[in-house]
Amino acid sequence: MDFNLMVEITPLLIKAAWVTIDISARSLFFGFFVACGLVFLQSFRFAPIRWFARGYISVIRGTPYFVQLLLVFYGGPSIGLRLDPITCGVFVGAFNIGAYMSEAIRGSIESVNSGQTEAARSLGFGRAQTLVSIVLPQAAALMIRSVGILAIVVVKNSSLVSIISVVELTYEAQRLVGSTYKPLEIFTLSGLMYIIIVYAVMGIIELAYRRAMRYTTL
Amino acid sequence: MEFDFTPVITYFPTLLQGLGVGLLVATVVAFMSIVGGLLVAVISIYVNKVVSWPLRFFIWLFMTTPLLLQLYFLYFGLGEWILIPAILVGILGLGFHYMAYNADIFIATIKSVSNGQYEASRSLGFGHARTIFYIIVPQAFIRSIPQLGNNMILMVKDTSVLSAIGVAELVYASQYAISVTFRPFEFFIVIAVMYYIVNIFMELGQAWLERKTAYRR
Repeated sequence: MDFNLMVEITPLLIKAAWVTIDISARSLFFGFFVACGLVFLQSFRFAPIRWFARGYISVIRGTPYFVQLLLVFYGGPSIGLRLDPITCGVFVGAFNIGAYMSEAIRGSIESVNSGQTEAARSLGFGRAQTLVSIVLPQAAALMIRSVGILAIVVVKNSSLVSIISVVELTYEAQRLVGSTYKPLEIFTLSGLMYIIIVYAVMGIIELAYRRAMRYTTL
Repeated sequence: MEFDFTPVITYFPTLLQGLGVGLLVATVVAFMSIVGGLLVAVISIYVNKVVSWPLRFFIWLFMTTPLLLQLYFLYFGLGEWILIPAILVGILGLGFHYMAYNADIFIATIKSVSNGQYEASRSLGFGHARTIFYIIVPQAFIRSIPQLGNNMILMVKDTSVLSAIGVAELVYASQYAISVTFRPFEFFIVIAVMYYIVNIFMELGQAWLERKTAYRR
């Protein structure tokens, strides 16, 4: 173990770790909207719209994220879709995780006892109002847990963006290995940074979960 | 934007070969990760702390870092001492990764088997080890099937990442074909469809297996 080298490259890796955090946060942010859109589409009474949403979720979940990334980045230009690597990483990540997240959100909404909905409806609440003021506050705690797990998946998935040459943690680590030939030190250090990021995410989820638990009757 | 799928037809045998390599790797990894995961789980629950803590650390380490980084670590890190073929590194890396995930599932399901099962078995004259392997583990395994299936479906998709260290599976084969034909869109669409078909079969298989074992759960 070459500790001098490890100290030397730490600032570089921290800088790259910020890119990882940035990409993951933006993927999650946009992914949440994609997920909400998909949940919304699945609640339509007009069946083809529901089929579209189901089909989208099935295709996204049935193909590797890695292939989706390569398809959009390298195949995109031939259908007139030219994206720079970071934008491509953020949006493919968002559209990918959105499909998984919509399932998580739907699952947590469905887990709220149907008696709650029936009671609210019989008390004169409308469909939307029941969802917003009765069901969602109770589903929130569960939703935070299941969406939180996906946040960790997003952080780990973001390492694949290195393949399309976004300079994030994995790419930087590999570049440094290329110039120093010290794979053990560098990959250990970058692994440690991923662990720190994942733990930070887990901490945030736990805090949010505790807060949301106040409103739940589960 | 004109699509020309004739190069895909020309290189279809290459793609099929890649798919074959990917599925071969997936089969070996499935076997390794389930058997290994079960062993890791049993040892980390029933054996003393000197043995179980390193194993828990192993599970934790593989679950908190990205697969790609683990593959790089094994491929370039081990490469300092010995040269191993990429496909072996791929199998080991993916195998350890999913071994950790499966072990995590097995630990939960083994603990979920009622303590009464253990006591009943002991009082009927089974020893400690026999109780674990004949009574506890089979029940835990059946309970793990739904989550194991999910993991294996994820694993088959993750074989695509192995192309990054040069395992000649489907993505690698298509990248080779693209470098000759310059048709990225067509090839990536076709391999996405191939992965999707494999995925559908795996989901059907999972559903069938769950139905078959539901009465035991």
